[in-house]
Amino acid sequence: MTVTTTAHVQRPPAEVRYADELARLRAADDAPTPPGWALSLRAARAFIVGDEKLGVTRKFVGDPSLIDRALVSLATSRGLLLVGDPGTAKSLLSELLAAAVSGDSTLTIQGGAATTEDQIKYSWNYALLVAEGPTERSLVPAPLLRGMAHGQVVRFEEITRCPLEVQDCLLSPLSDRVLAVPELPGDGGMVFAKEGFNIIATANTRDRGVNDMSSALKRRFNFETVFPIADFDTELSLVEAEAGTLLRRSGVTTPPRRDVLEVLVTAFRELRAGRTARGDEMERLSSVMSTAEAVSVAHAVGLRGWFLRGDAGTAADLVSCLAGTAAKDSPEDLAKLRRYLEQHTSWRNGPQWRELRDARRELPGG
Amino acid sequence: MSLTVIGVRHHSPACARLVGSTITALRPAFVLIEGPADMNARIGELLLGHELPVAVFTSYLDEQRRHGSWAPFCAYSPEWEALRAGRECGAELRFIDLPAWHEAFADRDNRYADAELRYAEAVQRLCTEFGVDNSDALWDHVVEMGPAEQVGQRLETYFDLIRGDSAAGTSDTAREAYMARWIRAAQVAAGDRPVVAVVGGFHRPALLRLASPAGSPATAPSASSASSPSSPATAPSAPSGSSPSSPASPIGGAAGDPGVGDPGEPGWPEVPEPPTGATAGSYLVPYSFRRLDAFGGYQSGMPSPEYYQQLWESGAEQAARYLITAVAARLRRRGQPVSTADLIAARAGAEALARLRGHDCPSRVDVLDGLASALINEALDVPLPWAVRGTVTAGQHPAVVEMTAALSGDRVGRLHPDTPLPPLVHAATAELERYGLDRAGEHTTDLTDPYGRTVSRVLHRLRVLEIPGFRRDSGPATGIDPVLREQWTVQQHPHRLAALIEAGGYGPTLESAAATRIAQRIDDAGGDLGAIADALFDAALCGVTDLGSDVPDRLERGIAVAGDLAVLGRVLAVTLALWRHDRLLGTAGSAALGVVVAAAARRILWLAEGWHAPGAPADRERIAAVVAVRDAVLHAAGLGVDRTAAVEISGRIAADRAAPPELRGAFYGLGRSLLDEDDPAGLFPEPSEAVRGAFTGGAAGDWLAGLFGVAREHVLAPGGILRLLDDLVGGLGADDFLIALPALRQAFEYFPPRERETIAEELLARRGLGGSGRDLLRMSVAPQTVAAGLALDEAVEERLARAGLITVGRTDD
Repeated sequence: MTVTTTAHVQRPPAEVRYADELARLRAADDAPTPPGWALSLRAARAFIVGDEKLGVTRKFVGDPSLIDRALVSLATSRGLLLVGDPGTAKSLLSELLAAAVSGDSTLTIQGGAATTEDQIKYSWNYALLVAEGPTERSLVPAPLLRGMAHGQVVRFEEITRCPLEVQDCLLSPLSDRVLAVPELPGDGGMVFAKEGFNIIATANTRDRGVNDMSSALKRRFNFETVFPIADFDTELSLVEAEAGTLLRRSGVTTPPRRDVLEVLVTAFRELRAGRTARGDEMERLSSVMSTAEAVSVAHAVGLRGWFLRGDAGTAADLVSCLAGTAAKDSPEDLAKLRRYLEQHTSWRNGPQWRELRDARRELPGG
Repeated sequence: MSLTVIGVRHHSPACARLVGSTITALRPAFVLIEGPADMNARIGELLLGHELPVAVFTSYLDEQRRHGSWAPFCAYSPEWEALRAGRECGAELRFIDLPAWHEAFADRDNRYADAELRYAEAVQRLCTEFGVDNSDALWDHVVEMGPAEQVGQRLETYFDLIRGDSAAGTSDTAREAYMARWIRAAQVAAGDRPVVAVVGGFHRPALLRLASPAGSPATAPSASSASSPSSPATAPSAPSGSSPSSPASPIGGAAGDPGVGDPGEPGWPEVPEPPTGATAGSYLVPYSFRRLDAFGGYQSGMPSPEYYQQLWESGAEQAARYLITAVAARLRRRGQPVSTADLIAARAGAEALARLRGHDCPSRVDVLDGLASALINEALDVPLPWAVRGTVTAGQHPAVVEMTAALSGDRVGRLHPDTPLPPLVHAATAELERYGLDRAGEHTTDLTDPYGRTVSRVLHRLRVLEIPGFRRDSGPATGIDPVLREQWTVQQHPHRLAALIEAGGYGPTLESAAATRIAQRIDDAGGDLGAIADALFDAALCGVTDLGSDVPDRLERGIAVAGDLAVLGRVLAVTLALWRHDRLLGTAGSAALGVVVAAAARRILWLAEGWHAPGAPADRERIAAVVAVRDAVLHAAGLGVDRTAAVEISGRIAADRAAPPELRGAFYGLGRSLLDEDDPAGLFPEPSEAVRGAFTGGAAGDWLAGLFGVAREHVLAPGGILRLLDDLVGGLGADDFLIALPALRQAFEYFPPRERETIAEELLARRGLGGSGRDLLRMSVAPQTVAAGLALDEAVEERLARAGLITVGRTDD
């Protein structure tokens, strides 16, 4: 079932996408490797922040110290919990970390309201269970059990969307590093975690936050907050590159206009932070103004421009797309967006801002 | 003649160590230090034996510009170490940089800020290359944590990379040219003996180039005469004479090293004189680690002084241990739980991070990262301060706040008792004597009289500087108070002298010190509008009109984050009045107040549009805020209060069903009065229509209160809405009327008595009744009686109607 080739797969896991980079890193790796790890800490770090000499690309735009802390957490006896706003690339980071540490990022539990312990720990092949009773053959291991048995990193996405009692089944695997399978007789009843096992969980701060987590479980995780990209130019380049790729894939041949993207990224950053470049404080939008959303708005702007008129998309298109993507269906957000366009566009220089202001009536209900 | 130029980062222990060892090994004839050349005659003052940190404070004042800046020294400053080691081995010490008041420093508050930050691109490249977050982590990684042996070489490589081929800005070029002249002169004077120069590493490549013999054709002729250090040649610009406001110079000169500061000597560069009419002075003031850490942006130097002090005193291992212990102790004192397990995790994390990053023992950021991983188990609201470089902002996790506080430390410097007093002490004493304020007693000042105003300003400046013993018992409390006399009580206070010495750090005269202090208060106020308003009013009382070039920006930022409409309205009303009218305090037309007016008007419009409370009762203060905006738009258009924007926003609020009724009414009034009859876009319906709309909404009284508060002329104007109002009020049922009554009363209170009388008379006339309108305004019986009468009428009417004797609900007109 393991994916080994990129052919016909929509999105192969990180260890397959970057197999050659991982191989080069492994070959050049001369630093001590923590027990059970596929790479040394330094090589794992280089895999994520990039290493020009080895031809390893930078895969995560963010503070390098965050990666350092995350890797060190994984090498210690605590789990790693990545928290942050939606769209800050937490899941990508957890995938990259798992690929670097264990060479396998597919031991993933997707948290949700309906997640049960079966999906986390193990369940049974009922036909075999009835025929043979509880044996290791009839046991169907879920990611946690497999990770512990093989010494690998287990990813737990959106952990706080699980019910509290389900989350708490991680307590003894994290602290005692053991999972009991009481149905199995003899030694098989206790699965002791092999070296290399740890958990990377992600949680977003918008949905339910981490307040719903028991403090016992909190204590067993090191928290790392992932922030939106701090640097304007970095975010702009990222949006430009990603939107460009998406547009090419959609058959649009003109690249997005840089000045329109500048306006877009500025507006997103200001609405996200609740503060303009000049320092005016305003309410944040309740919808998520992540870089990922900015990319999808840029994509939509490009599509509109190209397929409706044959140009690269204008600031006026931006207004229409913002309404749908950023404000979603919330009338409050729409009102906030309108106020922003009314009051915080006039004092800026540049024709694209004027264009944006003139197009503010495009907002629904304007 | 060998020249050694040590390029340093200011406040770096590793650099200080290198400086100390180099000077001790070379025993140079001259030690040249990047520092204010106008202090050369008084270098002895620095070496009296102060408790560090101390700073040289320089103030400058001319008609256009006021500037104050600091050159802070702590034990691990390379410059300080150069002074100490240089004196120990008998070298002659010279500061070789331009004075701090020079134009080259016009935008700088901190002489020892990191120059390379102004050339950020190279730094950014290096950070990416080394995989660190920012320049501080980079510096620790490359210099402080590296092996001690090759630190000099690494520094050279580092600064050569940073400097690269980029051309320095004009101010850096001017400084480098000046410093190079000193270096060349010292080389000539030293003959065969070595010369050591300690300068910012960023300047080193340029200085080496400029100071090389090829770059100095002028040195040869003066070489023979330069060897006599005590040449009695007349000084073209003795630093001690250059500043009329620094009486301390002669004492400092006496305590100085022999031979220091002979600028008249051939070959030595002259020390620039302040331009005619300008006052400049430098003197020593006590400093503190907290202030050292508080510079932000381009002004900042190395952060976390207490950590580096530990690093300097006892090495990296100890400093890391100190950091963990100090943070744990601080957190426990605050009642935050820090378990032993947490500390073990923090320690282990720090060690592991150090190893991952290739440090022998944990660096500053390793320890901080380790602590953060172990102690914080919540999502953070803002990024960790050491990851983004900058001062601690609001919203930090308490553990992070304690961590940065522990790093910052609370060491405060103290000057040696023999240090000459700062000029402020002399200036203040002279002023007190001049106006007879030096004796205890009561003083009355009359603000309308120029002499009284001067005395009042002196007293207010002392009060603002928190010099004990000067208390104002009465006087104007706001800018629009009609109080013109002040009562003061002056007492002799034992701490007066100490307080004046401390205040000396703010400036050489009472006026400039008060200005600096007020500017600092504005800076500290953040978004606290009350504090900003107080500071501005104090500025007016002190007669300080120019607070410095960056204060308007800070004010604007402070107001841009304010969140209370009522307070903003008050501030706008008072500042607008001060800005428009006040000739007494001399604030009319002041630039700082103009900024406040424009920013506050803009902010009120922004906040008002976001205010959603459809059923809220009328609030006079919110209405007053709209009135203040109206006045600002009408009278201060030149300041950038945008009339079109105001009209558009008024239109939207007036039409917004979710807005509180009095704001809708008030903005309706604002829009109408700004547009007059000229409303092509049809933003505002006719008054009659708008009023009817308000009455159907059920909050008529509140809406009217807003309208009357801002624009009551629509009621009394010919063709006004009085008749309509009368009809609508008359049409209210008795119960509805009683409910609407308090709000209606509030609304009509906006009319002065005379206009109320006119209204009453019109109402009488309309009903064809005679009599005086004034009588109608005075009620001879208690309101309860009237209410009971109304209820009785109502009951009777109801019964009559039920009996079919009358028809209700129609007024016969």
